[in-house]
Amino acid sequence: MTATRATLAGLAGLAALVALALAVGAQGFGWGDGGAWALLRAPRVLAALAAGLALGVGGAAQQGVFRNPLADPGLTGVFGGALFGLALLLGAAPETAWRHAWLLPAAAFAGALGSSALLVLCGRGGSSARLLLTGLGLNAFTAAGTLVIAARSGESRELLTNGAYGDWLGMATFELTWLPALLCLAATLLLLPKARALDLLAFGDDAARGFGADVAGVRRDAVLLTALAAAAATCLVGQVAFIGLLAPHLARALVGPRHAAVLPGSALLGGALLLVADTLGRGLWAEAPLSAAAVTAVLGAPLFIWIARSQHD
Amino acid sequence: MTEPCVECVALAVEIAGRRIVDGVSLRAEPGQVVAVVGPNGAGKTTLLRALAGLVASTGGLRVAGEDPRAAPAGAAARRRAYCAQQPVSAWDYRVRDLGEIAQAAAFADRLAELGLAELADRRLSRLSGGERKAAHLAMTLAAVGEPYGALLVLDEPTASLDLARQALVAAAIRGFVRAGGAAVVATHDLAYARACETVVVLAEGRAVGLGAPPAALTPVVVAATWGAAVPAGA
Repeated sequence: MTATRATLAGLAGLAALVALALAVGAQGFGWGDGGAWALLRAPRVLAALAAGLALGVGGAAQQGVFRNPLADPGLTGVFGGALFGLALLLGAAPETAWRHAWLLPAAAFAGALGSSALLVLCGRGGSSARLLLTGLGLNAFTAAGTLVIAARSGESRELLTNGAYGDWLGMATFELTWLPALLCLAATLLLLPKARALDLLAFGDDAARGFGADVAGVRRDAVLLTALAAAAATCLVGQVAFIGLLAPHLARALVGPRHAAVLPGSALLGGALLLVADTLGRGLWAEAPLSAAAVTAVLGAPLFIWIARSQHD
Repeated sequence: MTEPCVECVALAVEIAGRRIVDGVSLRAEPGQVVAVVGPNGAGKTTLLRALAGLVASTGGLRVAGEDPRAAPAGAAARRRAYCAQQPVSAWDYRVRDLGEIAQAAAFADRLAELGLAELADRRLSRLSGGERKAAHLAMTLAAVGEPYGALLVLDEPTASLDLARQALVAAAIRGFVRAGGAAVVATHDLAYARACETVVVLAEGRAVGLGAPPAALTPVVVAATWGAAVPAGA
């Protein structure tokens, strides 16, 4: 299958999933009363789709930069940093936070960047174990920090706790969604041209530079854009692990390891996975909907263990 | 006098306060292969990385008419190519992907030269260690679009290859320099070194022997560098 046909097939599949997701509601299958599909479901579908795209492409980029198939912004603490950034803002200045549309994404971006910087400093150049242990530490720290802030800030408590469980899609409105969704799309589109440089990075820094890659430049850009993708996606969903891990692995299995195919493939699969997870979560148990993060974790955890088992360090 | 493909004067590399390469000078004109020999830890790899502009160094350095330390990475890539002793790939590419990633038009020819033509569709993980090394060498050779005036920097290119493929690699290097390029090759194979135009004997970062093989690899230098275990005529 040519790249163009694969992309078209992927887009067509995604369009069908979008239509399906719009038709699934609390009262079962159908377009709902009073344009529920447009008012209630469309922002939610947009949020899931945009976040999924960003998570998928962000995972693929992070795996490329760290040359590590286990890298995923959810596992390496970058999402944790984004949520911690949001928590710091919501804890310190809850009124101001909602006054400007850009403030929440900016806080999430700052948090994600902080985590990324620590990850690059401590985890790079080492084994999978070092990268993941650094991520484990960052996740533990940021999760604890987020919960401490949540516990101390009365009005944002429920909001932050829901965010930690990846349960924000339910509150998606166009007003809250448009900017982070746009940032997700921007990060995705800006990461796509990094494909060749990420391919070259696979051969190690020396070889990549030998073949003409600006290694420091591409690493910096990819880390920044992955942090942006993670921050924007966190603003839409809260914390979701595994999409950034699953999507690139499925993409590599379907279209091979070249980043020119893996980056767009991973973005489309990420969008599809999060959309399916959210639609399943609210469609199957309408009376007690599951968060998209819970569904992806149930599906993703076994795969993560399987990938970890097949690693040869 | 011909413009050399590589020339370094008093090249030195210091890493974490230790001098790994200490004042090495060498020169290779089009058509020449320079063998860099010496015991493990003598600084061969670091010297090669410095010549390729991949590690910070002091002293004079010109590769294909410019200083690779100052040239933009993309421009330098077309004038010199570097292959590590143990090339790695984080992802399981197909052999032909290597040529596309290096944007090397001549990749199929180089692959055929190294006896890998029929393996182009294989994944790297399905190759033997020697085949994988040869595939990376083909990528390196092909990355330099035009050999004339260019430099090939190869770190133990024949290590872990069977005898037939060692000969193919040596022939490919010879073909590259015949087309007007030069090569600097680190090796433990003194017989191969003796067939090169120039030999640099490194010990603790210094060039203890330099010049045409008979002048560089004298019995005294061989004994002083490798000890009595290596016969002087090796």
